Amino acid sequence: MMQSLPILSLKSVRKMFGPHAAVDSIDLDIAEGEFFTIVGPSGSGKTTMLRMLAGMDTPTSGDILLRGERINDLPANKRPTCMVFQSLALFPHRTVGQNIEFPLKIRGETPESRKARALQLIDLLRLPQSYYGKNVLKCSGGERQRVALARALAYDPQILFFDEPLSAIDYKLRKTLEKELKDIHRETKKTFVYITHSLEEAMVMSDRIGVMRAGKLVQVGSPHEIYSAPNTRFVSEFVGDVNVVPVSLAKDGLLHVAETGARLKPPAIPPGFTQGHLVIRPEFLRFLANAGEADNAMAGRVYNEYVLGSRIQYQVRVGRNVFAVEKLRQQAFKGKLDDDVTIGWDAGDAILVTD
Amino acid sequence: MQDRQQRLRHALITVWTIAVIVFVYLPTICITLASLTASRYFQFPISKWGLEWWHKTFSSIEIRQLLSTSIIIALCVTVIAVAIAFFGAMAFARYDWKGRSLYQKVILLPIFFPQSVLGLALLLWFNTLGLPLSWMTAVFAHLVWIVPVVTLVISIQVYSFDPALEEAAFDLGASRWQVLREVTLPVLFPGLFSGALFAFLLSWGNFPLSLFTTGADTTVPEYLYAKMVAGYTPGVPVLGTVSTVGAAILLIGGYGLILATRRAKAAE
Repeated sequence: MMQSLPILSLKSVRKMFGPHAAVDSIDLDIAEGEFFTIVGPSGSGKTTMLRMLAGMDTPTSGDILLRGERINDLPANKRPTCMVFQSLALFPHRTVGQNIEFPLKIRGETPESRKARALQLIDLLRLPQSYYGKNVLKCSGGERQRVALARALAYDPQILFFDEPLSAIDYKLRKTLEKELKDIHRETKKTFVYITHSLEEAMVMSDRIGVMRAGKLVQVGSPHEIYSAPNTRFVSEFVGDVNVVPVSLAKDGLLHVAETGARLKPPAIPPGFTQGHLVIRPEFLRFLANAGEADNAMAGRVYNEYVLGSRIQYQVRVGRNVFAVEKLRQQAFKGKLDDDVTIGWDAGDAILVTD
Repeated sequence: MQDRQQRLRHALITVWTIAVIVFVYLPTICITLASLTASRYFQFPISKWGLEWWHKTFSSIEIRQLLSTSIIIALCVTVIAVAIAFFGAMAFARYDWKGRSLYQKVILLPIFFPQSVLGLALLLWFNTLGLPLSWMTAVFAHLVWIVPVVTLVISIQVYSFDPALEEAAFDLGASRWQVLREVTLPVLFPGLFSGALFAFLLSWGNFPLSLFTTGADTTVPEYLYAKMVAGYTPGVPVLGTVSTVGAAILLIGGYGLILATRRAKAAE
């Protein structure tokens, strides 16, 4: 996947706001043609990071390299990169066509070639050609997204940056646009760097994901790696509902739960692990007919159930803790609320994290 | 029963509204009526109607001179005030900087100064600096009061301006100058236009600042006042009507222009 020279490299990039490091010593390589997503909660520094990459902020220290050349101080208008803003920043006094043509006009292209390119892009973004002369304020949310992307593509950037452009869009349309964006990525073969606070969104689109927390990149990996092998409790919880149990490694090689005194069979133990958290995803928990059916089992009582479309989530009380168990609709729990149940999981399905 | 009460309420609201409108506009209408007299003196009811004072007023070179002085001052004030207030409004509403909140208060303060005192103060300064008084010093005096007003008017537009528009244009390869010309100014244009209207009309109708600072030059409001004090002719209401109606036409025309451009844009 990684080519010899990454298109974008960050070397110990740091950005200070007063005494506070918004972005703290980040090292990262992004490959040519990659769809890379930075995920993090608000305040994690992802927007600051993107602004530095796009040239709207300069790092306090460290280097940003574009194909090996230092671009720290190159202003945004001189960089071969382009950003799609959270607010989209469409020019309200211009038509759809004029918006898309803006970078071409700045570059001094003739009106004819500008229009030809704009119409091509309108096609690429699956908008009707008649939209060329349409007032941009009259476009719907999804159409505006497409116009903003078309305008950025008209600049013909080597890298496209996205600052949470889908965050204000309703769920159904967002799902469509996520897939469209991935299609556009395939068709244009450009490098996309996307930021979002939704790991779900990142999973759908990205080749690789970087999870940010308090200015640091906590984990970088493929969506599959982030999902199945989170390296911290933070990353595991970012993916969605998880069951987290504080554990320590006992001498007998089992995991000891201090609170209940339970001993659990461990998954692969990370080197140097002594104590941390056991993460069990709700879909790996099962209702057992008897405790011997799984490596680890617990007795509990069904407290509530939530229908999540194709899946159903059950809340099972075990002592003072509540575990989430998810089943596909076809495999729904046959009992009723307040039934006593045994739930369990196989050791290898859980994940141990150190923090 | 319910129905009658409702109708009564509507009737009262209508009567009240009409009363307020009459109260506000009747004096202006009376000025126009007073200008339509054929007699030399101011008297109601008008015994003999006529347009002769309108003829006299418009053929008078003195009046033309007055109008041109007022218009030149107002135009100069408009151009300079909008230019200064544009940058002032950007500092007021677009950028966040240390001391902005103090600046926001200080810049608006002159609006509340008694204008006659401000005029006197400026007169003293012009004398101290040895500047000869003319329409040019009046322009300066008007600016002191009008720039804050226009700054406020433009700031309202700037508050609704998305700074990402400038960043996006810059990111798409535009220079700072191109960003200003292609994005900032056109997007803020409605605000700049209303600012310009405010500047022109406030200068056009200003009396207290002009009184102290025009020197030998005379503006329309100064002339009206002087003639009321001594030497009234029905030419005074004629000029008063011209002054008021001119302002109204400018205002309505400006509003119409904004509506028309908005409609043309919506039709796209």
